[in-house]
Amino acid sequence: MADGKSILVDVSRCTGCRGCQVACKQWNGLPGTKTKQTGTYQNPPDFSHQTFKVVRFEDGRTKDGKTYWHFFSDMCRHCMNPPCLAGAQGDEMIHDDATGAVVYTEGTSKSDFEMSLSVCPYNIPRQDPDTKVMRKCTMCFDRITSGLTPACVLSCPTGAMVFGERDAMLAEAKRRVDILKKTWPKAQALNADDVRVIFIVTDDPLKYHKYAAGV
Amino acid sequence: MTNHWIDIQHSDCILIQGSNAAENHPISFKWVMRAKERGAKLIHVDPRFTRTSSKADFYAPLRSGTDIAFLGGMIKYIIDNNKIFHDYVVNYTNAPFLVDGKFGFKDGLFSGYDADKRGYDKSTWTYQKDAGGIILRDETLKNPRCVYQLLKAHYARYDLKKVSSITGTPEKDLKTVYEMFSSTGTKDRAGTVMYALGQTHHTVGVQNIRALAIVQLLLGNIGVCGGGVNALRGEPNVQGSTDHALLYHYLPGYLSAPRASQQTLESYIKKITPATTEAKSVNWQSNYGKYAVSLLKSWYGDAATKDNEFGYAWVPKAEDGKDYSVMTLFDVMYAGKIRGMTVFGQNPACSIPNSNKVRAAFAKLDWMVHLNIFDNETASFWKGPGMDPAKVKTEVFLLPASASVEKAGSQTNSGRWIQWRYEATKAPGDCIYAGEAIIRIQNKLKELYQKEGGTFPDPILNMTSDGLAEKGGYDAEKVAKLINGYFLADVEIGGKQYKKGDCVPSFALLQADGSTSSGNWICAGSFAQDGKNLMQRRGKADPTGLGLYPEWSFAWPVNRRVLYNRASCDPSGKPYNPKRAVLEWKDGKWVGDVPDGAPPPLAAEGGKLPFIMKPDGVSSLFGPGLGDGPFPEHYEPLESPLAKNLMSTQQNNPAILLYNSDKDMVASADARFPIVMTTYSSTEHWCTGAFTRWQTWLTEAMPQAYVEMSEELAKEKGIKNGDKVRVESARGKLECVAMVTPRFRPFLVNGKTLHQVGMPYNYGWRFPEGNGDSANLLTPTVGDANAMTPEYKAFMVNVVKV
Amino acid sequence: MRRRQFLKMSCVLGAGVALCGLGVDLVPIEAWADEIKKIDRLKTARQTMSVCCYCSVGCGLICATDEKTGKIINIEGDPEHPVSEGSLCAKGAGIFQTTEANEHRLTKVLYRAPNSDKWEEKNWDWAIDRIARLMKEERDKSFITKNAAGQVVNRVETLAHMGSSNLDNEECWSITAWARSLGLVYIDHQARV
Repeated sequence: MADGKSILVDVSRCTGCRGCQVACKQWNGLPGTKTKQTGTYQNPPDFSHQTFKVVRFEDGRTKDGKTYWHFFSDMCRHCMNPPCLAGAQGDEMIHDDATGAVVYTEGTSKSDFEMSLSVCPYNIPRQDPDTKVMRKCTMCFDRITSGLTPACVLSCPTGAMVFGERDAMLAEAKRRVDILKKTWPKAQALNADDVRVIFIVTDDPLKYHKYAAGV
Repeated sequence: MTNHWIDIQHSDCILIQGSNAAENHPISFKWVMRAKERGAKLIHVDPRFTRTSSKADFYAPLRSGTDIAFLGGMIKYIIDNNKIFHDYVVNYTNAPFLVDGKFGFKDGLFSGYDADKRGYDKSTWTYQKDAGGIILRDETLKNPRCVYQLLKAHYARYDLKKVSSITGTPEKDLKTVYEMFSSTGTKDRAGTVMYALGQTHHTVGVQNIRALAIVQLLLGNIGVCGGGVNALRGEPNVQGSTDHALLYHYLPGYLSAPRASQQTLESYIKKITPATTEAKSVNWQSNYGKYAVSLLKSWYGDAATKDNEFGYAWVPKAEDGKDYSVMTLFDVMYAGKIRGMTVFGQNPACSIPNSNKVRAAFAKLDWMVHLNIFDNETASFWKGPGMDPAKVKTEVFLLPASASVEKAGSQTNSGRWIQWRYEATKAPGDCIYAGEAIIRIQNKLKELYQKEGGTFPDPILNMTSDGLAEKGGYDAEKVAKLINGYFLADVEIGGKQYKKGDCVPSFALLQADGSTSSGNWICAGSFAQDGKNLMQRRGKADPTGLGLYPEWSFAWPVNRRVLYNRASCDPSGKPYNPKRAVLEWKDGKWVGDVPDGAPPPLAAEGGKLPFIMKPDGVSSLFGPGLGDGPFPEHYEPLESPLAKNLMSTQQNNPAILLYNSDKDMVASADARFPIVMTTYSSTEHWCTGAFTRWQTWLTEAMPQAYVEMSEELAKEKGIKNGDKVRVESARGKLECVAMVTPRFRPFLVNGKTLHQVGMPYNYGWRFPEGNGDSANLLTPTVGDANAMTPEYKAFMVNVVKV
Repeated sequence: MRRRQFLKMSCVLGAGVALCGLGVDLVPIEAWADEIKKIDRLKTARQTMSVCCYCSVGCGLICATDEKTGKIINIEGDPEHPVSEGSLCAKGAGIFQTTEANEHRLTKVLYRAPNSDKWEEKNWDWAIDRIARLMKEERDKSFITKNAAGQVVNRVETLAHMGSSNLDNEECWSITAWARSLGLVYIDHQARV
């Protein structure tokens, strides 16, 4: 089936501007957390109950000595068959029919958080330590059901992030990968059949993040 | 920018040098990526591999402070390999002009240098003329005294080996960049240059940009779609604030500020209006007298009359040849000679070089008035590190201002688009517009002078109230109209009727007889004759299909979107590249963008040359207007790793101003400070961080000061990524976190390994706690010979583990 | 796990009603309720156009002002803007934190007396009076009518002004006019920086 929505995240166009990271905070009214400079542009270091979008930075040199800097605008994949739902106790985790968005409600304070986290291939779900509510990207469910684009996608300047009907996004992913392969033979769309948030990378997925292609 | 943001998409080759556009103008990359989608190549030249470099098709490293060497090599390559756009160079530049026989260049100095004055007598930097005063030319470009041959001779010295030795850029990388970019010298290919403070923040800053301009003119890339010399300006409205002359050396609209030797309006107008013998030159600057008088009318209204030279005497006259720019301002303040200062929306305690000197200077003031939306290191200087408030006598006023989304008014982007913004809500508490604050101060001063008299009250008492709201406060739209200009009497011009009080729809209608007023001639036309505010327009029509959007906002001048656009056509008016024609001469008129000069193309009857702002109508390869030379020449930064300039025995720019207070220590080729340093910003913080360090979403992303260094340097120093380190210069020191990265590499300069590091200047002691302090504690008080833009980008430091 | 049709937001106004109807005891906690509220408040908010206050690209902003409270509740990119098309970088995306929502915003006139170690709150009238008085005193004292060569210069060299490229054109122009009317020559700002 090719219904519902998808987001394309094409890292070959990403400049790491972090518009998406901040737009997510702004839309969701999430606080900025206290962080430390540890010798990287990346901050916060990872997801939390207050951070649904993290731009990951990895720099290095290729075997031929060329410098690279990869940016990976990490977020929940909104899986086609979300394994995290295994931690649900009732209806508190919503897997929306129309869009395919996976949304945690306040009721997840009763969910089995450890279960959901352990089965998530991308290490996404987090838990508010006080309320025990589980938190992650909502695919801006409130926005997309009101005819708006997700906040992160709207902010993206270079078209690295695109939002639309799933079949259109799958077609676009294929079109882009075909072009990218000419310059980067390793270019691929990661797990396109299994996820709604489809990342396109030009290098070995592990060069971006441990969980870029899932475990 | 000569062009504009959207235009970048049309480029075939984008050279980003002296800019980190992806980080500091992130949305510009929308248009860079669109260009790449169409097959354009992106070149990034930068000491450090940045977010911009990550998207480049080719990245070339270069040592900070060596752009002229790099570009000089490109000029040589273009000439030697016959890559010039020949027709363009012959017709639209001063390449054919014959230069005076006495002009010369030897060992780093041009003819006429006076070492005592640290400046040039430029009388030999001129052209050979015939008896009638017409400049002699050689259209074959072969005469050894023609500009083209002199250019060739000058840059013959910039061979690959020499350039590589100076810049640290490998020869093969130089060649690749030169090849890629010079491919745009053909009719159907356009190259654009995007530059920013990486070019201006040097003692040779203006000449850096001259070098870029020369490259672009040789390749025929000025005036064309997808081309240009594009300054990515660094502040939301620095274009506007520059236009409106918050600078000592000119008045609104780039009219040179009058000096003591111009005692009369007539002598002043004579000075600012150049003459030309070139019949085909429009020489638009010859109109400047009209703009000067119209400006005076906007300031003094009815009080400005022909009899009192329109109030010319009320305009302060600076001393001839003296500098009053910011580094001099602080030097004089440090010497205790400034009593009071107003600082609106700026944080000099962190943004001006040599912060220790600046902060100490503040303490010598009797009073300071600061206006802002948050507190910062300037307003609170008296309680900063090393300050004992009990010993600081300065009275400080901290005035709360409305933020941008709480204001109505206009803002000019780098593409010269003047866009109007609206109040989303009233500002909180006692906040008011900065404009309202200055009007209240002005009104109060007027009142005091009216009641009590005082020294020379005339300019204060005679200041117009035309821009004020009915109740006497600040009114943005009224001021905007005052800036645009009015007809002060009914008049007929060119068969059209204009009534008293009508807005002036074009500066071509401004007069020198006091019948028009205009606060800034370049903005004339931002209102239609009937008073409609064109800056508010949101029209999406795009008749050329090139993304000019002529109905979105108002672009100065006269809504022209691409400057010098008549140079995009051949002398008969046919576009050089019909596929991307920004302008075309069709059926006796120009079609497309607003033509840069209404007159017909050069070869037509009544035709004129396309560079209408240059007295001779052509662009300058030979540029005698600058203070440090008509051709860019490589000099080392004031603080250099090299004891000897490899290009000549002239170590530094011979025309720079030097300061010698006890805080102006300089250490060049000094073993104590062997590492080159540069400073820059980041995407997540804004300049000194005065706004952004109060915002948790941004401090979360970039919490603390860091210094970026190569893995090789870190290894030498025993520094690991994340370690605490101290960076020191001759002037100051600060501690920060080491960011050890493969994105910096050592350079091979003059046969030796040379390290470079870099720091953002986004941090300051005020807030949040522990974030660090300003990189400007390290920078030297020295700047460009012409523009006094400080040399933030190349000086010497040491780095040690703490 | 159960899939469920998530009801349209506008139907869920009044929190929890529709969801409770499906047998789930859902207590709408503040954040979630706020999330629902935000999109609905957005729908009735006054939309105002602005321009980003950071770099010189001049990206378009849409500010949403809540019709009930009069406060800005959202700031995001303007998709209609021909240059930015709705995009914003980290700084632009965060402009909400420059508004009143930021507790650090200066909202009162503050004054630091000579040798004091703290700020005091003042009102505008007091501040303007004092500032104008200080300016006039210094100008009257140090005004230079003629320079050493006897030329009429009508300037003041003991007063200086800086800033700002962060202000609107009309404010910049007004400041230039004011500075010149006083006779200032030490005038500068970020353009040189």
